[in-house]
Amino acid sequence: MTLLLQGLGLGILTGGLYALLASGLSLYFGVMRVVMVAHPAFLFLAAYLTYTLHTALGIDPLLTIPLTVPVFFVLGVLVQRLLLARLAADQVQMMSVLLTFGLALTIEGLLGTIYTGSYKSVTVGYDTKSLTIGAVSLPYDKIIAFGVAGLTLAVLFGVLVKSRFGQALRATIQHREAARLVGIRTDRVTGYGFGVGLATAAVGGGVLALITPFFPASHWAWIGKLMAIIVVGGLGSVVGAALAAVLLGVVEGMVLVTVDATWATLMFYVFLFLTLLLRPQGFFGGRLAHRF
Amino acid sequence: MRTVSKLLLLAGTAGALAYPWLVPNYYLVYAGVLTVMYAAMATSWNILGGFTGYVSLGHSAFFGLGAYGTGLLITRAGMPWVLALLVSAVLVTVAAAVIGVAAVRVRGASFVIVSIALVSVMNLLVQGWRSLTGGATGLQVPAPFELSRGQTHMVFFYLFLALLGLVLLTWWFISRSRFGGGLKAIREDEDKAEMLGVPTAAFKVVAFAVSALFVALAGGLYAVWFRSLDPIFVFSIVSGVYMVLMSLLGGVRHLFGPLLGALIIAPAGEYFLIALGESQIHLTATGVLLVLVVLFMPEGIVPRLVGRPKGASIREDTAEQRLQEVKG
Amino acid sequence: MSLRTEGLAKAFGGVTAVDGATVEIREGAINGLIGPNGSGKTTFFNLVTGLIRPDAGRVLYKGKEITAWSPHRIAHAGLGRTFQLCRIFPRMTVLENMLVAVRRTRLRELLAGSRNAAEVERARHWLHRMGIEHLEHAEARHLSYGQQKLLELAAIFMGDPDLVLLDEPAGGVNPALIDRIVTLVRDLNAEGRTFLVVEHNMDVVMGMCDHVVVFDRGAPICEGTPETVQSDPRVLEAYLGV
Repeated sequence: MTLLLQGLGLGILTGGLYALLASGLSLYFGVMRVVMVAHPAFLFLAAYLTYTLHTALGIDPLLTIPLTVPVFFVLGVLVQRLLLARLAADQVQMMSVLLTFGLALTIEGLLGTIYTGSYKSVTVGYDTKSLTIGAVSLPYDKIIAFGVAGLTLAVLFGVLVKSRFGQALRATIQHREAARLVGIRTDRVTGYGFGVGLATAAVGGGVLALITPFFPASHWAWIGKLMAIIVVGGLGSVVGAALAAVLLGVVEGMVLVTVDATWATLMFYVFLFLTLLLRPQGFFGGRLAHRF
Repeated sequence: MRTVSKLLLLAGTAGALAYPWLVPNYYLVYAGVLTVMYAAMATSWNILGGFTGYVSLGHSAFFGLGAYGTGLLITRAGMPWVLALLVSAVLVTVAAAVIGVAAVRVRGASFVIVSIALVSVMNLLVQGWRSLTGGATGLQVPAPFELSRGQTHMVFFYLFLALLGLVLLTWWFISRSRFGGGLKAIREDEDKAEMLGVPTAAFKVVAFAVSALFVALAGGLYAVWFRSLDPIFVFSIVSGVYMVLMSLLGGVRHLFGPLLGALIIAPAGEYFLIALGESQIHLTATGVLLVLVVLFMPEGIVPRLVGRPKGASIREDTAEQRLQEVKG
Repeated sequence: MSLRTEGLAKAFGGVTAVDGATVEIREGAINGLIGPNGSGKTTFFNLVTGLIRPDAGRVLYKGKEITAWSPHRIAHAGLGRTFQLCRIFPRMTVLENMLVAVRRTRLRELLAGSRNAAEVERARHWLHRMGIEHLEHAEARHLSYGQQKLLELAAIFMGDPDLVLLDEPAGGVNPALIDRIVTLVRDLNAEGRTFLVVEHNMDVVMGMCDHVVVFDRGAPICEGTPETVQSDPRVLEAYLGV
């Protein structure tokens, strides 16, 4: 029982990070029907940047986030405008997967060349202690990660729901033609959508560097997990992705403490295949109109 | 077939058969085996990808299953290697058909996700199931022949070449059958094909399974040839990407497209490995190449070589444009 | 009895598209299906041909229940249809388009060469009837929209259907071609094929159909000869949305 509670706690904490990253993927899919396979590669790029900033300049991993976010926003806009926007409209779905796959390999290769293939990790004073509630002990770094991810998600939601930019973005997602007719410059908005999406990877990378060691090929494991999350949540639904992220985070945490790591990861795929068999449109997503 | 194409085909076949005797050292024979293996795999991939337009990034799962199946049947069940190879390929094909029933229910991006998931699952299972597979340390397969390393490369060059020939024949046979016509129609407009009486689900599953069969055979041959199986390499998503990249680069609509792509990429990969050592930069090279092909040459090289078929160009504007004119 | 639906219903996320439609198609006739935009005509087609599954109701063809059959099975049973926005296989040649249709699933036939002489002969026959036999080797995407419509129609007949569902055959084509399509449908009907035609062009409907069913809000509101339907006050009401 204690074990399960421990799993639950850890699962929720990890789920927060999953939710943040999955929301980025949902944004890409929303604005352009693109499955961005390179998202986790950018996540690890951010983690390595955090590592460099931390080891070279001694900046706290969390304080690197304000530095990486604008860079990644611009990168995201560039990736969309310079690469994805050039794909023929009738082939965007397939070709974008291959294109972003190419980006992922490019990044992995560069990271491997620059940083070598061995594990890197960031250690700061607060990341080895734990908060103990009853029999459950939760590491502070994971609590901080959850807090940062949750805060970013809250800001993201606020922007999407309240701001003019958010409205334009949602309009573009829901009905591109109609958005264009009311004067929204949908191509520009799509680019910004990618910028925001990639910014979530920047935040995620800073947090990730804090909580876990990483090496260049680590992003493959994340691709599968994040893909499973957005499919279970319903492709393109930000809320659905967030809910599925927490759900799968919890399932992973529970299986991790009761069985082993292999089965914990396999659960993502079990849920992925079950969703595709039972409810291909996702469990929390629903139709395009109910995106947010 | 025109005389020119016939001569080219003949020359190509002769060149391939003579290759191991023409090169100065065994390393180049080894590189030739790798190239022919990738050509066979890419062409098999193209049985699904080229005809139906379902892009699978996970075909290395079948390569890995074929390899481990063959390796395990030899080491654990004591089968002779030829039998192990065939039994393993049949088992993988059956498994692929079952997986295919679920996988081809989803289209487009979801299918790609499923295919990626497939490799990841296999990788996890093989690494997790240590008692059977040797886990992360890998599986050792006994030598099939009492030959030197170099002579073994020679033998496997011809074995892989035979496989390549078989796959090419199969692709060609399907492309001119009514079954192949149905698969191409699925690529163009799946619902429409179904409405014309094409049992699309069954067709896709069969294409998926046949495609997996030959990739599994390649995997099995690899196991006997290389004799040391490492789950990280055998179930590598990168080798799955190679199949896609080679096919795209050559041209997915053409019989020899994937072969041509393999002839370019596999030697290039080997060259990078020698020139740059064990560095990870070859991944970047592959990635950049993939991006460039997708952006600038999604139709591949073959259409550029062959040129546009005459008489095709009647009107240049699309149906949609014309519809707009009529309605507008 | 050719085609009959009983209480067919389908809703999309709370919006009812087809609402308890009970319709009987007259065998050997050219049946018209008209109604204002959004009255559920195309959804009705999709339900009948198995592309989407109904929430409730049954579809019967020649007395056999075909509800929830897969579309290819329904096609094998003798139903053919065109789509509202003409759908052909753009990157295949006209002849290849014609040879896609599968009438039965027999292994030997599927593995046989697609250039089977008898099939090619049939394909040429139908292309000839549509007047596009000279385009045989052109890629379908290079055809004009009118030619693509004729190709779509021709391809359907390769499946040798007894009942043909046409979704706006006159939509987006010039008047001369409309006349040609009307004549074709009449001729084919005279050879014993039943038609069900969704059409917005009232001249075409009135000039071609023997029997007309009017849809409004997902269900038939009246039916009869073109003349009786035209003078029915309920039809006027549905179209004007009073």
